[in-house]
Amino acid sequence: MNRKKRVPLKEQGKHFFIFPAIIWLLVFTIFPLLYTLYLSFHGSRFLRVTKFVGLENYIYVLSDYRFWNAFRVTITFVVLSVLLTVGLGLLLALLFNRQMKGVQFFRTICTTPLFTAPVALGYMFMIILYEEGGPVNNFLHALGANAIPWLSHPRWALVSVLIADVWQWTPFAFLVLLAALQAAPRDLYEAASLDSASGWEIFRHITLPLISPTLGTVIILRTVEAFKVFDLPFALTNGGPGLATRTLTFNVYTSGLRDQNLGVATATAVILLLMVLAVSQIFFRRYGSNYD
Amino acid sequence: MSKFFRKSVFWGLVILLLFSLSLVAFAQEEMSELEKKTADEAFAKADKGQPDPDWKGKKFTIAVLASGPHGAISGPLYFWRPYWEELTGATYDIAEIPFGELQAKIFTDFATGTGNYDCIVGPSFFYGDYIANDWIIPIDKYFDDPRMPEWDRESIAPPIRELLQWGDNWYGFNNDHDGMVIYYRKDLFNDPRWQAEFKEEYGYDFPVSPVTWQEILDIAKFFNGKDWNGDGKDDFGITMHLKVGEQGFFNYIALAGSFVCMPAPGDDPAKITRYHNVFWFDPETMEPLINTPGHVKALEMLTELTKAGPSAMVGWGLGEAWDVFLRGNAAMCFTFGDVGTLSQDPRVSVVQGKLGVAPIPGSKEVYDLENEQWITLEEPNLVGNKCGASWHGVISSYAEDPDMIAHFLSWQATPEINHWNVAWGWTGIDPGTTYDFLEPAGKAKIEDYTITGYDAEDITQFLDAYYTLWFEYPRSVPYLRIAGAADYIESLDIHMSEALTGQATPQEAWNRAAQDWNRITDQLGREEQKELYKEAIGYSGE
Repeated sequence: MNRKKRVPLKEQGKHFFIFPAIIWLLVFTIFPLLYTLYLSFHGSRFLRVTKFVGLENYIYVLSDYRFWNAFRVTITFVVLSVLLTVGLGLLLALLFNRQMKGVQFFRTICTTPLFTAPVALGYMFMIILYEEGGPVNNFLHALGANAIPWLSHPRWALVSVLIADVWQWTPFAFLVLLAALQAAPRDLYEAASLDSASGWEIFRHITLPLISPTLGTVIILRTVEAFKVFDLPFALTNGGPGLATRTLTFNVYTSGLRDQNLGVATATAVILLLMVLAVSQIFFRRYGSNYD
Repeated sequence: MSKFFRKSVFWGLVILLLFSLSLVAFAQEEMSELEKKTADEAFAKADKGQPDPDWKGKKFTIAVLASGPHGAISGPLYFWRPYWEELTGATYDIAEIPFGELQAKIFTDFATGTGNYDCIVGPSFFYGDYIANDWIIPIDKYFDDPRMPEWDRESIAPPIRELLQWGDNWYGFNNDHDGMVIYYRKDLFNDPRWQAEFKEEYGYDFPVSPVTWQEILDIAKFFNGKDWNGDGKDDFGITMHLKVGEQGFFNYIALAGSFVCMPAPGDDPAKITRYHNVFWFDPETMEPLINTPGHVKALEMLTELTKAGPSAMVGWGLGEAWDVFLRGNAAMCFTFGDVGTLSQDPRVSVVQGKLGVAPIPGSKEVYDLENEQWITLEEPNLVGNKCGASWHGVISSYAEDPDMIAHFLSWQATPEINHWNVAWGWTGIDPGTTYDFLEPAGKAKIEDYTITGYDAEDITQFLDAYYTLWFEYPRSVPYLRIAGAADYIESLDIHMSEALTGQATPQEAWNRAAQDWNRITDQLGREEQKELYKEAIGYSGE
């Protein structure tokens, strides 16, 4: 005869302490996610849900050239932004990972862009990249070069958004990677030096393996963040010229809040979520062993 | 010694800063005194109605375009608040919202019934959604209410008056009167040297008062790339604000009217029929007209004009476009009434005393939708425009004290207060009532304007152009006031930008817009939209 084992009161008490976390997760993560899914299968106008429409919103989104345009812009932005921020961050981290005079000061200076609000950053770059007499074009003019149509040419407009984003996020990669470099055991480097290993060999066979879990984390965090970019193109180019800098999150904003069509907005958001999840899964499957 | 020196420099800088601030403050004070004196006079003369004592201590909230306490449209609300508090004992909060977020914030507030905003001083293109959803209340009942200050509805220019009404009811209170005109450099246009060169290059006399878009294009091309102001740099022919998501679409609408809106045959050329004086949709089918030949040609013209100005202007909002003209680097500026005011401020403008203003030009070719052919005219097809938001107050259906709000908006609409706002141009309130225009056509005196700093010649030109636009043009581009108006406009704006930046040809751009418009119409319900559209443009099907 099986008798249920009585759980001691002390053990039961443990559950009480995780209860707030569960509530938090349910209210602020699970419920919004489920509600977003629910909305994406319903019609809506002016934030009022009307009727169940099945896959209609998804078909609407996937047959809209604006979605595919935003998809291209977002993917281009994510790839270039992640490559540049992580690459530059790593270079800076390697540069500052040594005894230098004033290194503390430079580190502080390097991190200031991180604390800038993206909207303010957008307006700041609007002034810096102003085509008729802005500082960058004036500088180019002084060098005898032609002015660059930073915000009025579709390709350059995307480059401008990228420059601002890289300026803001490189310090993040730099800070985290610098911490990883500084935590690396010194004796490995000393041994490699004794074996007369070259700088590249040390980087390839010691530094990179040591910091790869951190590097992976930086890449994935930056990727997710880049997929969500909205406020920077919103402030800097308003998504233009035409649709040249309109990202998927920009589309979610315009469908949901400007056009008040929650069905279409949430369907776009769900597709975006699936994309980010897919990228994360591929990444973790490929590099998951680094975290074991 | 060095410590003493550092201290001296520090205190020297502090004193210099305080002195500078005092100078600025006194300069502001001087301006404020004149403003205050004239405002006091306007306040004394304006009808005040009989404010209800129950309003004392109450408060409401106004949502308005974000421009700050001394900026366009929101500025007058700050300025007049103490006067109205004194008058009624009530007050109001001002919620400023950036242009790009107006629709999202206001519609969300209405749609959710939150009721944060009791009153909206907003753009006229929200009416379709306002009316379709009963978000605002009609105001006719206040016209005979003795508590309300009296305002003169008959004095408002007819095209603007239409914007304040829907069907047989009034919903909006008189305030701003937006339309687009062409500003130009009078000194350049009248210079015999440029006139001779122009004639040699284009083979006809310089059009000192341009009346067609072709003339505007020729002038713009002529002045573009020449250093006509002698600063050693090439200058521009024309400047516009064409950044996507801003107000560039109004440039297009104002320009396209004369290519698209065919006058009706018979005694009344302004009559709306299925094929005459329509701009947006076929009122029988709700099929978009945006990709018809008239629209395509208009976009081709705008694209050509864009090439005769700074290439950067496809990424410019209002401020940047105006600045180039005001700094004396562009021969023309195609925009709203604000430049007339700004041009008179020597802190930002070098063109005071050199300002010419032309009402919107026309086209000698117009597309006949009925017979699907181009018609060539002897005289240009002049079609006025009420392009712009024509910002004005409406009362929310959720407002707790609509009568109190009606008092405030009626008082702001009284001739004295409204005209004061027009005369003090920083308010962003543009002229559009008979009391704003000069005698004998209107009731205003030149001193009303010169006292505020206007050059007499400049203001005469400015007011004449607007008077012509409002009262003498036989017809006007119909305003899009149906549900989803902002969605249709957004699509137009995006595809216009694509054409202007070479991402699509004008025909491709408008085909895309037509596709979007059909989708929007189908989503909102074609039949419902058709009925709203017919009502909005006054089409009876005859």
